[in-house]
Amino acid sequence: MTATQRLVRWIGAGVASGAVLFQITRASSVPLPNRDAGLARLRLSWSARPERIEVCRALTAEELARREEHMRLRVECNGRFATYGLRVEADGKVLGESVVRGAGLRHDRPLYLLRDFVLAGGFHHVRVSLVRREQTDGDTTAMPARSADADTGIFAGRAEREAVEHARRARAAIPARLVLDTTLAFAPNRVIIVTFNADRRALEVLDSARPSR
Amino acid sequence: MRLLERGARRALTLADAAATRLYGWPWNPLHQTGPLAVAMLLVLVATGLYLLLVYRVGSPAASIVRLAADPWIGSWMRSLHRYASDLFVVAAALHAFRMFAQARSWGPRTLAWVSGLGVFGAGVVCALTGFVMAWDSFGERLAREGGRLLDALPVFSEPLSRIFAGDQPVPSAFFFVNLFIHIALPLGMAVALWLHVSRVARPVLLPPKPLLWGITGALAVASVVLPAPLGAPADAFVVAQTTPADLTVAWWLSLSERLPAGVVWSAMLAAVLVVLMVPRAVRRPREGPLAPSVVDPRLCTGCNQCPQDCPWDAITMVPREDDRPTLVARVDPALCVSCGICAGSCAPMGIGPPGRTGRDQLAAVRSSLELAGANVRPIVAICCEQAPASDMVELRARGAYVHTVSCVGNLHSSVIELFVRSSAPGVIVFGCPPRDCVNREGPKWLHERVFNDREAELQPRVDRRRVRVATSAPGDLAGSIVTFDAFARDLAALDRPDQSDGSLGDVACEPELSRRAAP
Repeated sequence: MTATQRLVRWIGAGVASGAVLFQITRASSVPLPNRDAGLARLRLSWSARPERIEVCRALTAEELARREEHMRLRVECNGRFATYGLRVEADGKVLGESVVRGAGLRHDRPLYLLRDFVLAGGFHHVRVSLVRREQTDGDTTAMPARSADADTGIFAGRAEREAVEHARRARAAIPARLVLDTTLAFAPNRVIIVTFNADRRALEVLDSARPSR
Repeated sequence: MRLLERGARRALTLADAAATRLYGWPWNPLHQTGPLAVAMLLVLVATGLYLLLVYRVGSPAASIVRLAADPWIGSWMRSLHRYASDLFVVAAALHAFRMFAQARSWGPRTLAWVSGLGVFGAGVVCALTGFVMAWDSFGERLAREGGRLLDALPVFSEPLSRIFAGDQPVPSAFFFVNLFIHIALPLGMAVALWLHVSRVARPVLLPPKPLLWGITGALAVASVVLPAPLGAPADAFVVAQTTPADLTVAWWLSLSERLPAGVVWSAMLAAVLVVLMVPRAVRRPREGPLAPSVVDPRLCTGCNQCPQDCPWDAITMVPREDDRPTLVARVDPALCVSCGICAGSCAPMGIGPPGRTGRDQLAAVRSSLELAGANVRPIVAICCEQAPASDMVELRARGAYVHTVSCVGNLHSSVIELFVRSSAPGVIVFGCPPRDCVNREGPKWLHERVFNDREAELQPRVDRRRVRVATSAPGDLAGSIVTFDAFARDLAALDRPDQSDGSLGDVACEPELSRRAAP
């Protein structure tokens, strides 16, 4: 191989190596278009416990006596978790409608919701409703009346604690009817989140991140 | 699949030829794809250790932004880490393609194929988790898509995607788990890599030093000159028009986002099954040229050379069943790839694939010489079957007598001697580039046997000036021809009466050679 041929080969190898390197660096940062770029999104996102619909019954003293001492639960409840109808509308047009229920095979896990709806930028009248599908008679959270006579010794105050716990669970559950009916300004390429505020027990709108804890 | 394999072989030969023309066969990076992938893994570990020191799971995006803003070390270290991961993926994919095209993916090599796929898959997932660690718009997009795909599996009680919804800050636990996976996967890759090379003797894990440092240096320079850009910090409330994405690793992202999760999983499963089934689809019957080596215990002297030369650790020495005091070689057919290198290592010619032992080679050469009707006068060019056909055509055109062997490592040195004794003026052996031998160590052992007295060595009575070992590679026809012509010139000079000096005295007892040496 002559010196000229060697030089040509060196230059060729250098150019080829440079081109390969440049391709690697370029492929490392290629602008990838987002789906629905230029549009806005309405995102529904929350997790909350579905309501427990149950019928509770206080056991009689005879029934309790038949049980082992550590199995003497004074109130027995039977029931299931509620299902909800979700309906999302924008400017009177239905964007989505579905039945949502708690996660898990027995639907006894919290209800997780994550839905995205694409909207054009601008003002939209949005209506989100989550309504319990099961009809119930009266207060499903009521505890049957029972005597506090047995609540002595280490059981002192048990009835009260049970009532508080029962009420806490009822409060943590999704209310039978949740509705958000409002007009929102959607900026292009922005996301507005509708979520469930467990403290206020209502749907609320977020358009920027909550501060980190 | 065989059709695909043939097509891949053609494409590989073209690519090899182009790269050899550019770089020359000693530095052809396509011959080094496997070692190059390992070298990039080492670069990734070295740079990753530094990045680990500055990364904060509590504020991932901020720590990476700080790192990228550091012009002295942070920026180029991060870029080098990223480019090395890209080059790892490219090199590993090319390596798999090369093995497939060269039919090196079945039989005893199945374990290497499957474990290699494991290394590749783990490497890709590791790279993806690395992008998520940065928690820029690209990392968030990857995490969101990954969450969507994982949520389609009945694994998580709470959907993963909810983490990225935006109604709550992304918990540090997520970044901790992601970091854990990013660190644990390379450990798994190390185990898979060990499996990958567990069935080969003397695995070559790194490219030659000039290539290793050249490529690493070039990547480092590229990292300084063209640092890897960082996307905007992730924000669940923003859907950017475009995301700066690494297409080497995430080329599938845009397509995946448009398809239902079930379809994506099915496609992935189908792709994995197809590549896993390659060894089964391309396997050949272990007979004829692919039959494993056999040992003739009557000839085996127990010298222990063939186990040392076998590139696949397929031969062990075991006690004999007769009353001779030596050990005897035993070939494990499940590990033997029928390369025939053991046949070239055995002085008494007691081992080798059926039809390719030293004795078989000598018999074949003798019969071909008889067919030729006279002693061979032209220069003999012994070529590997893998050598480019154009080289053999050109050698014949130049008057050479071309004799092919399955691998130059299979060639017994007695064959060279037989040709020389049959009055051939000289023998030139064309092997494949040492890093591209399909049998791994053919050219290496041939050179040792011809010039460095490794068993079965070329006998001292053969004039080494009449034997040459050369390399023939696709894309280097000119190099092969130049080597052959130079050898022919040297032989002509040697045969000129005024050049016949006492240097041939040690072979004067050989009638053919003394005839040629006579004025």
